[in-house]
Amino acid sequence: MIEMTKMTIWAVTIIIVFLGLFFGLTSFYIVEQTQQAVVLRFGEIKNVRTEPGVYVKAPFIDNVVKFEKRFMIYDIPVERVITFDRRTVLADTYAIWRIEDPKRFIETLGTMEVAMTRIDDIVYSHVRDVIGTYSFSEVLSIQRLKILEEIKKRSVNSLKDFGISIIDVRLKRTDLPQENTQAVYERMKSERYAMAAQLRAEGEKEAQKMKAEADKKVSIIKADAQKEAEIIRGTGEASATNIYSEAYSQDIDFYELQKTTQIYKDSFKNSILVIPNDSPLLKYFYNIK
Amino acid sequence: MAEYEVFDPVDPNDEFKEYSNDRKHRWRNIIILVIIIAVGAYLLTGVYQVGPSEVALVKTFGAYSSTTGPGIHLHLPYPFQSHVIVDVRTINKIEIGFRTTSSGRTTSYVFVEEEAEMITGDQNIISIEAIVQYRVSDPVDYAFNVIQGDDLVKLTSESVLREMVALLELEKVLTTERDKVAMETARRIQEIMNDYEAGIQIENVYLQDVTPPDPVVPAFDDVNNARQDQQTSINEAQRYANDVIPRAEGEAVKILNDAQAYAYEQISKATGEAERFRIMLEEYRKSEEITKNRLILDSIQKMLENSKIKVISEKGDTLNFINIAEVMGDD
Repeated sequence: MIEMTKMTIWAVTIIIVFLGLFFGLTSFYIVEQTQQAVVLRFGEIKNVRTEPGVYVKAPFIDNVVKFEKRFMIYDIPVERVITFDRRTVLADTYAIWRIEDPKRFIETLGTMEVAMTRIDDIVYSHVRDVIGTYSFSEVLSIQRLKILEEIKKRSVNSLKDFGISIIDVRLKRTDLPQENTQAVYERMKSERYAMAAQLRAEGEKEAQKMKAEADKKVSIIKADAQKEAEIIRGTGEASATNIYSEAYSQDIDFYELQKTTQIYKDSFKNSILVIPNDSPLLKYFYNIK
Repeated sequence: MAEYEVFDPVDPNDEFKEYSNDRKHRWRNIIILVIIIAVGAYLLTGVYQVGPSEVALVKTFGAYSSTTGPGIHLHLPYPFQSHVIVDVRTINKIEIGFRTTSSGRTTSYVFVEEEAEMITGDQNIISIEAIVQYRVSDPVDYAFNVIQGDDLVKLTSESVLREMVALLELEKVLTTERDKVAMETARRIQEIMNDYEAGIQIENVYLQDVTPPDPVVPAFDDVNNARQDQQTSINEAQRYANDVIPRAEGEAVKILNDAQAYAYEQISKATGEAERFRIMLEEYRKSEEITKNRLILDSIQKMLENSKIKVISEKGDTLNFINIAEVMGDD
């Protein structure tokens, strides 16, 4: 009998422990720091828990659905978008989002998968619409921030009703389609070659200019020297003339005599000299009888 | 010793009794052991280890309650407390435009074209390889506010870098503004991370390789060559100028010296002749008539000596009869 009682006590204890554990596990639930939860009773929303902690629920009847509370990234696949000036760009966008209102979220979307498709549809359509009103160069300019702000604002508005908050929409890439890329390469090449040609031509120009300037300098230096030289020569000749006239003016007759006799001496070399027989030179020549 | 025990004679009935009693005991022992192990294992869920570069965030019923540093620690077992470990020291690296792949000892880099190529403000394409370094500065924010922190930094970096490049012209990105792009990118990523309260600190943004895209590299090289050519032309011209001008200056000096010499010669000659004249005049004046005659006769004598043929004629037309060519011939 004692044995039996002991056995019963054991069994009862074990059953109680298991039941306790079972009820404990089914009537309490923990919401983690990174989570938020919605309590459903037969599909009806009973409670929304956005703060972490331990909560009580009715076992079996209540169903707890937990959602992520952190910021999540949704990388939207690359899409072709046409700008206002009819150019195609590949827009690679992503959105940072979080579940703001779990009640709304579960009512309108239910699961993460559905939510993602919805975000994709909505953000993409805004990306297309907004970029479509700007030109390609505007997309590439400081306007880009304005464009993103506009896409973000529109997306926030559209997704508010789904309990989703869009924190940010950003353009990861705005690339050109392959065929345009080739065209850009060609343009870049031609621009560079043009630049190279210009640089070379400018070098030539500069060189010509420098050479011409050097030539000019050479001419000026020579001409200046020539001028100076002529002046020096002139001055020299003038001084000489002055010296001559000063000296010769002392006796013009003697000068004439001297110069004439000098001419006689110098100017009859290898000539035929015809002396008339009545020349005074021969006055003694004919006197001999 | 063991042999004796094996052959120890025991009553079979007795043995059976003993055996059933033993079995009961053994079962109880096993159950107790299992319970101890289970409880032990359960308590072990409260033991955790934190590495030297890490911190652990302890959560009580899912809510963050405290932070602990490196070492072995204990918290209440599941489901009362749990922990998350976050690395707060290690600097993480994000690569844009390339990937490092290391197999064993060799490290190689793979170029990722679609990530590296960006459009500049003047609608050209540039290829940029960059590294973004970051670390977790606030483990609580990092663990509880964002998911996929690494991806978040990567996407943000890519988009910010493109944004910066799209604001500048190709030439500037390649040259002067390069450092500014890196700095501005780092600043902007940090701003965005702060907005997200991601607990991430951007340490550095390095632009590794900023080049024109491969297909246009020859054209860019040509521009560099053209720059060299330009300089060469200018240098050549400079050389020409350096050669020609000093020569001209030398020539100018020569011209001037020649002229000065000429002038000096003229003046010297004149002075000399004038002096000679003066001296002779002085002598002449002493005996004017004789000197005059002497000078005339001297000159006539010289004149006669110098002439090749002397003719005495009655009339001045004698020359008409002389064959001049024959007479002067062999001169």
